Amino acid sequence: MLIRTRKRSDVLPSEITPQGAYLNRRQFMAEAGALALAALAPSSAFALQRPRTPPEVSAGPIWLQQQILKAHDSQYGKTDKPAPWGAITGYNNFYEFGYDKTDPAANAHTLKTDPWSVTIGGLCEKPGTRTLEDILAGVELEERIYRLRCVEAWSMVIPWIGFPLADLIRQARPLSSARYVSFRTLEDSTQMPGQKSRFSTIEWPYREGLRMDEATHPLTILAVGLYGEVLPNQNGAPLRLVVPWKYGFKSIKSIVGIDFIEEMPMTTWNQTDPREYGFYANVNPAVDHPRWSQASERRLPAGLFSDSRIPTLPFNGYGEEVASLYTGMDLTRLY
Amino acid sequence: MRAIGAGVIAWLLGLIPLGWLLVQIWQLQSGDWEILGPEPGKAIVHFTGEWGLYCLIASLTATTLWRRGRQRLLLQHRRTLGLLCFLYTTLHLLAYCAFLLEWQWQDVASEIIKRPYLLLGAFGWLLLIPLAVTSTRNWQRRLASRWKKLHRLVYVVAVLVAIHYLLQIRANWLEPVLFSSMLFILLFERFLVTQIRPKSF
Repeated sequence: MLIRTRKRSDVLPSEITPQGAYLNRRQFMAEAGALALAALAPSSAFALQRPRTPPEVSAGPIWLQQQILKAHDSQYGKTDKPAPWGAITGYNNFYEFGYDKTDPAANAHTLKTDPWSVTIGGLCEKPGTRTLEDILAGVELEERIYRLRCVEAWSMVIPWIGFPLADLIRQARPLSSARYVSFRTLEDSTQMPGQKSRFSTIEWPYREGLRMDEATHPLTILAVGLYGEVLPNQNGAPLRLVVPWKYGFKSIKSIVGIDFIEEMPMTTWNQTDPREYGFYANVNPAVDHPRWSQASERRLPAGLFSDSRIPTLPFNGYGEEVASLYTGMDLTRLY
Repeated sequence: MRAIGAGVIAWLLGLIPLGWLLVQIWQLQSGDWEILGPEPGKAIVHFTGEWGLYCLIASLTATTLWRRGRQRLLLQHRRTLGLLCFLYTTLHLLAYCAFLLEWQWQDVASEIIKRPYLLLGAFGWLLLIPLAVTSTRNWQRRLASRWKKLHRLVYVVAVLVAIHYLLQIRANWLEPVLFSSMLFILLFERFLVTQIRPKSF
């Protein structure tokens, strides 16, 4: 339903910080002077993109907040302008918390992200269950600004805080027979009420998978933060995959299991509707979804009369870095 | 006078969703981008489509309620409901062309032809045009008995709308199945009537 009423806790447009102010905290501190001036500038430039500011009290445990604050700036993706916090955290596909885009933000508070552990198994030398704290102790966090292209033909620019998945894979020491990595989201209908729905065609838990070379590619990251804050639950807290050259559904949220396997794994959307969603799911303007064209996308947040429709690029514009992974493959058939 | 009053009230009630939408669009244009979410065009397409569907179900229910329950309230406003259905589905189609395809005509044509659910939806809207045009008393008199036959096109529209909705199921089938069943039940009720009184019309 479209009709939305304003909650008392919602921030009014008049209370909102200008666009520049949330780039992230470290930058904010560094550029505080400049931003103070920017804040005094006429607000018309921000008219369509006023953000809802990040929450005053950050979610997640203190140790994680501190670690995220120490993340270094990779400078990656600085040319794209990130979507406002409110758009990224208020418009989500996370069916474990409901089918409407606004449901996850409303319902995901039931997810307990602390303590959190991930079970790593399959064909590797160091299988076992590791706490999030333990995993993060062995990696270095950085900020990466990526474009996220949803299979539904919209996209957003998102400033993630995370680390290369390759770093975690290296620690697990996969065997040479491991050709694929499969991922699993938490399955617990008390924390994820959407999993109770009788009207769903999805079999829980949500599963995703990557080929080993895709999983270890430097662009593939596991994210724990957003805009210098702990990742909100609706965005897949506390640990989610981000594979920027693939459609968003590949970037599995709230991961509890990672397995190294020999055969191509079963993945949720591919299983639900193989005609519409392939295993690879590389962003490809030449291959339509049966119900809509993938040749263009709407960059969000969009206005009504502004041109928000832009052409979609092969591999979501990351072709230079990842196209070589697919040399010789017929991507029209292996979509 | 009383009849006119009730008619005006029915129209005003039916236009409340549109008014609400216009207020939100106005708020959006004055800078509150969050009011319709980050993808306002899509929100408007869905909203107008849903209200077109509700009006269609209500207009079909009107006759059934009268026949089965001697309830006249909806029947008195069947014309208004039908016209509201046409209004909201027209806005639905316009919003789709304007906000999702941004008036790229070659895309409008190719998308509608390529996607069965869009083709069915567009065809359903086309069938509504003659019904809206001939909805006046004047046309009703001019067409006499043919008027009733012509307006049975709405049954075809109902089937098209149901399929248009069902083809869009992704993971959640509750609403599409619920509203399509309502349409099919209303059509089935009419089928039953023809079985019981085959010569009554």
